[in-house]
Amino acid sequence: MTSPSTASPGAATPAADHPPIIIVDALRKRYGDLVAVDGVSFEVAEGEVFGILGPNGAGKTTTLEMIEGMRPIDEGSAVIDGVDVRRDPREVKRRIGIQLQASAFFDELTLVELLDLFGRLYGHAVDPMALLAEVELTEKAKSQVRTLSGGQKQRFSIASALVNQPRVLFLDEPTTGLDPQARRHLWALVRTLRDRGHTVVLTTHYMEEAEELCDRVAIMDGGRIIALDTPQALVDQLVGRGFTKTRVERLANLEDVFIDLTGHELREED
Amino acid sequence: MSTRLALWWALFAASVKMFVRNRVAVFFSLFLPLIIMLIFGVLNFEGSTTISLGIVDEADNEASAALFDGLAEYDYLEISEGDRQAELAELEEGDRGFVLVIPAGYQPLLGADTGLVAYAATSDPAQAQVAQGLLQQAISAVMSDSLNGSIPDVPRLRPPVTFESVESRDLGYIDFLVPGIVGMTVMQLGLFGVAFGFVQLKRTGALRRLFATPTSPAYFLSAQVASRLVLGYVQVAILIGIGIWFGLQMFGSWLVLAVIIGLALLIFLAVGFGVAGWAKNEDQAAPVANLISLPMLFLSGVFFPRDAMPELLRSVTQFMPLTYVNEALRGVMNEGAGLVDLGPQLLGMGIWAVITFVIAVRLFKWE
Repeated sequence: MTSPSTASPGAATPAADHPPIIIVDALRKRYGDLVAVDGVSFEVAEGEVFGILGPNGAGKTTTLEMIEGMRPIDEGSAVIDGVDVRRDPREVKRRIGIQLQASAFFDELTLVELLDLFGRLYGHAVDPMALLAEVELTEKAKSQVRTLSGGQKQRFSIASALVNQPRVLFLDEPTTGLDPQARRHLWALVRTLRDRGHTVVLTTHYMEEAEELCDRVAIMDGGRIIALDTPQALVDQLVGRGFTKTRVERLANLEDVFIDLTGHELREED
Repeated sequence: MSTRLALWWALFAASVKMFVRNRVAVFFSLFLPLIIMLIFGVLNFEGSTTISLGIVDEADNEASAALFDGLAEYDYLEISEGDRQAELAELEEGDRGFVLVIPAGYQPLLGADTGLVAYAATSDPAQAQVAQGLLQQAISAVMSDSLNGSIPDVPRLRPPVTFESVESRDLGYIDFLVPGIVGMTVMQLGLFGVAFGFVQLKRTGALRRLFATPTSPAYFLSAQVASRLVLGYVQVAILIGIGIWFGLQMFGSWLVLAVIIGLALLIFLAVGFGVAGWAKNEDQAAPVANLISLPMLFLSGVFFPRDAMPELLRSVTQFMPLTYVNEALRGVMNEGAGLVDLGPQLLGMGIWAVITFVIAVRLFKWE
């Protein structure tokens, strides 16, 4: 009933040598007549980058927010790092880092002041400069948030999600609205975080991003997971069903041209 | 426990910093009231005063003629003459600011009552109080001039004029204005300083970001309330300080004043957080905040005394929170009233504090 319709059960669950750090079972959320999330189940292994894809209104953000303890769960359960979200959302929040879709902060505070404040909110002493160095914002340390560019804001948002050294990092559309350079820069940051042992769960509208970053992806539509596997396996399944592209795959696309012409270097107005 | 206190203190400090660094908020909550005070208090009113004075000369002797001529030399006095009935009728019509009655047999003597009686228009007590001072000065000067010839060392004259229907304290418009501006500032702080700042945090998602942490957002809310309470006191202190520099007088107890301001802040912070907690964005908050503040701005006696208002309107607006606040502020500052004297106003404010608090709690939504 709740198992995703995928032909490859082996990859629908995490590899056996990595125990699941997130276990989501039959999650459901209803707003009046609208069922926003309709029985979503999946597991995420420790150290994995897990993507949730889907069109607008598919229930991605609602699913994330229920798992994060930001929104009450109507039915089903979510367990993160052994803690039941329904039972102890505060303990879950202690163990995770959250980057919200619209990342807003107190505009009048400087980056250092904010990271210090967020540290206190977790009961942690933090080293703001070390965190800023991780996201390459050292030179902006004494600036107020309102002076940051879009990409810088997203990176700062990730720095703020790292103050409690979370086991799991949730990124909701981290690259929406960024230019190709800033997006690639953020991909590199996500890979670094994964290499350092953080588990990452992200949502995105960019399939290229999902292919680049995610070990496995869940595709949602109408509040349900309609496919869950590694990106490669999903492509193979599609091809296996006899799919052929109407146009032959080009050796490069326009984004490759763009990056080739404009370079990888970050452009950010100060 | 001490880490929680440290956390609360950090949130409080952050709230203060956010306010002080927000130039728009600082402008509207501090400089705007100051500018209004300057415009109303100094530039507009005190500079261009002329007093329309009707003289009823029932003595018709040498002394009364001397007083008449002496007063005529003052540029700010517009003098007309008539009989008592006619002049008092003019006063009622609002065509005279004062009517000075020189009694039959008037003869200024040192140390004796002059018998002069002035009738003041009650429609504008604040103006009347300023004008009264000027008139008193003019009459004293004329009288000491006329007595100066015979007596080298002019002793103090008895108050030469008895004023009817005007309080005896020597109050200027600034004394009337500053308590009104203080009341207005407290209201604006609650409705605009708090409501808009908080709704913005809600709309942008900055408030939601706090939900992502294990700390209850109630900490942040209480730190915000506390910071605004302190900032409100600072603002009021600055306004009163500048008022004193302009000649504001304080007849009552500072402690009583602080109590009144604290209660007023609580009322309007509750209104502000109620609006902020209810509204989803600034577009929703703005009309409501204006709908609440504008009637009080004009009908609660901020700039002008409420006595001039039509009876019906006055009795209805008597119950508005800012009316109680302004009355209490003027009571303590202008009349030296104590907490007991201000019982009705404090009761009114207390009831409003409870009402607004309950409404704010009911309406408040985090998202």
